[in-house]
Amino acid sequence: METFIEEMKRYLAFGAEDVRLLRQLGPRMDKYLPEMSERFYSQIPFHPNAFRVFTGGDTQIARLKQTLIYWAQGLFAGRYDEAYADERYQIGYRHVRIGLEQKYVISAMGIVRGFLSECLLLEFEAGDERLKFSRSLNKMLDLDLNLMCESYMHASTQNLRALNEQLERANRELAEASQSKDEFLAQTSHELRTPLNSILGFTKLILDGLATNPAEQRELLQDVFRSAQHLLGIVNDILDIGRIEAGKVSLHVETVNLRELLDSTLPLIAVQAAAKGVELRDETLRATLPRVRADEVRLRQVLLNLLNNAVKFTAEGRVTMRASTADGFVKLEVEDTGIGVPADARERVFQKFVQLDPIQARRQGGSGLGLTISQRLVELMGGEIGLHSDGHEKGTRVWFTLPIAGEPDATPRAPAAKARQ
Amino acid sequence: MSETRTILIVEDNALVAKFYKMALERGGGFRCVVTENVAEMLKHVTAGEVDLAILDVSLSDTEWEGRRLDGLELARILKQRAPRKLPILLATAHAMAGDRERMLAASGADGYLEKPIYEADALVATVRGLLDSAAGG
Repeated sequence: METFIEEMKRYLAFGAEDVRLLRQLGPRMDKYLPEMSERFYSQIPFHPNAFRVFTGGDTQIARLKQTLIYWAQGLFAGRYDEAYADERYQIGYRHVRIGLEQKYVISAMGIVRGFLSECLLLEFEAGDERLKFSRSLNKMLDLDLNLMCESYMHASTQNLRALNEQLERANRELAEASQSKDEFLAQTSHELRTPLNSILGFTKLILDGLATNPAEQRELLQDVFRSAQHLLGIVNDILDIGRIEAGKVSLHVETVNLRELLDSTLPLIAVQAAAKGVELRDETLRATLPRVRADEVRLRQVLLNLLNNAVKFTAEGRVTMRASTADGFVKLEVEDTGIGVPADARERVFQKFVQLDPIQARRQGGSGLGLTISQRLVELMGGEIGLHSDGHEKGTRVWFTLPIAGEPDATPRAPAAKARQ
Repeated sequence: MSETRTILIVEDNALVAKFYKMALERGGGFRCVVTENVAEMLKHVTAGEVDLAILDVSLSDTEWEGRRLDGLELARILKQRAPRKLPILLATAHAMAGDRERMLAASGADGYLEKPIYEADALVATVRGLLDSAAGG
């Protein structure tokens, strides 16, 4: 395909004869070039963006004047090849980037053209020879101006395209955010209606006189109470996740003694586990636990949630709490021998309102938001959370990490401990 | 209408199913079959024992031929297998704009109720209405 510069050369009838004439003209124009450069840059103070473009002061301008002379010498060397076109494109791109408008370049090139035409008048007598030189000079300057203008257009188009892509991306993200908000609202509405159905339904049955036996009324009231508790759990979790996602949860991160935290948290779960005949095993007792950087209240919330889940979804067997350290992080792990998580659901369980066993989950008052909240909280505390299961009925292992407190000065602590002995 | 009509209740929340059953039995004198098991539903439906089915839309534990079914698909299957016209009432907690039209169209169901459903009288009246128009058509 014909390149732009080839096309313009053909269009302007710029040929070998012009190159020959320009090479001949070059040496005779040399002496005028310093003045051309002066005149060119004398326009600078009138340039509206001068303060932005010429930031290097006099040194920069002196250098640019010299560059302009080299450029003009290059023009007369007749090297109108792809490499030259490329250089001009680069300059055009740079100008667009710094916000130098095309009109100022066109007028600056006009100054060059006017000056060089005057020089021809000084250098040659009126006649055919001067006319020939003048024609070639003008073709050459037209060619150069075309290159500059084309490069500006290219660069501007590219800029616009990039800007468009940015806008499209932003638009897409907004649409996605709005859609996930709609979905959350729909799911929330769905989740709230289910316990409300039982609360309203059973109370209305009693009020309508359709359940008159006191023992049965008591049973129904228990169902109402359980449903209301479930509803409260959902409402609390929804508020919690709403605050977290709106960035309105400010964590009070401090140095937390994990041993103390576990010692005060595990007994809360032990009662529940014992009631189901599930063994709660604390293997963290074997290891020396480091202090971690965390929000104590939120950390306890995450631990309770994972332990609760483990007990909830384990009919028999045990729930084991483990801890290990690696790379400046503590890894806390809750393993159970319960119903497990199928491979295709391991990512999904962290999504809002995803319950793999909703009957069981609801019976136990789960909102379907616990893992989502835990994931957000762990991430806010600078850790990671993950889930592993070998499949249905094979148990589940959920782990999360937390940064160890004061990790950089962990080494100097050893001699201090020694000194105390 | 002297004989007792049988209503099939498919609902994954046990308490909600319990409410439907009590409301329909005590408020309307119906007989109720509660199950989430498709084979059992089909047994009752194909035997012509079911006069109307109330289906929840989001079913967590209902599988058939190795995959999960929702109430919409279940409605189509039950209608196909029923020996005579089987009116179906969708009962769902999906209550966003457009859900009703979308679900009725996707399931071929005859009626739609939004949860919370707690008026025994209203539930009985809706069920009777559907049974009457099924008998008339």
